[in-house]
Amino acid sequence: MQHFSANCCQTSSMNDAELINQILNGNMNAFTFLVTRYQKLVVHITGRLIQRQDELEDVCQDVFMKVYQNLGKYRNECKLSTWIATIAYNTSINYLRKFKKGDEINPDDSTALRNLTDFNSVDYEKADLYRYIREQIENLPVQYRTVLTLFHLEEFSYQEIEQITGMPEGTVKSYLFRAKALLKEKLKFVVDNNSLKTVKEISNES
Amino acid sequence: MNHEKLESIIERSFKTEPDYHLPDNFAQMATSRVVQRSQWLTDLFEYLYLIAIVVLLLGAATGTYYLVNKELLLQIFAFISGNAVQVAMVVFILNFILFADRVLLRLLFSRWNRT
Repeated sequence: MQHFSANCCQTSSMNDAELINQILNGNMNAFTFLVTRYQKLVVHITGRLIQRQDELEDVCQDVFMKVYQNLGKYRNECKLSTWIATIAYNTSINYLRKFKKGDEINPDDSTALRNLTDFNSVDYEKADLYRYIREQIENLPVQYRTVLTLFHLEEFSYQEIEQITGMPEGTVKSYLFRAKALLKEKLKFVVDNNSLKTVKEISNES
Repeated sequence: MNHEKLESIIERSFKTEPDYHLPDNFAQMATSRVVQRSQWLTDLFEYLYLIAIVVLLLGAATGTYYLVNKELLLQIFAFISGNAVQVAMVVFILNFILFADRVLLRLLFSRWNRT
């Protein structure tokens, strides 16, 4: 037991390269620590994409299984977090293709706007707005949810998101912009002035 | 509410973690699944190595007997070809027992323990 806890302390202070070396040498405590370190990243990406709590655990386990199986192929060309995020993204997209309807993958903005529900609160308290926006993020098209999660929540750069998703940088920027525009469109009545651009105007610009 | 305020609320909402969560012991579960999976592959390869060694030993014994006692070897081949079905069944059953012992039962027990 002492040996185990000492091992845990050692692994917790390791950087990614040392952790990978330990795992490749058969240290499973190091793998447990790697999972602990990156499970939040994986659950954010996978959860936002597949949106099914009951399937989430299995898909996340698949992701870490692939991480373990392919760890020997990992080269330091990108950060480990980017590499793991790529596996999580691909696994989730494959899950969506397999178990969900194909039309969810490529909807247009007008469909996406129709999918968003109206904000009903009259006195638009800040907390209501937060809750509403968080709910609507889940109603956005899958690409928008992906780039929002990767950019805002996980703070990946545009280049890293391009590596993870395979979307060109311009597309990533456009999705981020349009996702925000869709939400603003739904919330434009809460703004005093008329300074917000409509989705149509933004789509024409991009 | 002005435009900037709405903008900052949207930005903060984007940075808020979604409500998806994993069990507290997820890391341990993921590790044990990886161990089970790799254990199954190890067991399978061990079984295949064992079969390969047996086949090699039989080959070597056949070669040796061919040089030392060709008559006995021919008698054995005659017996095998005369009782091909029975010999094939015995080989199949022995092979299946070995496979079940080395791979199948271990895999089933580990799956059973998981559930």
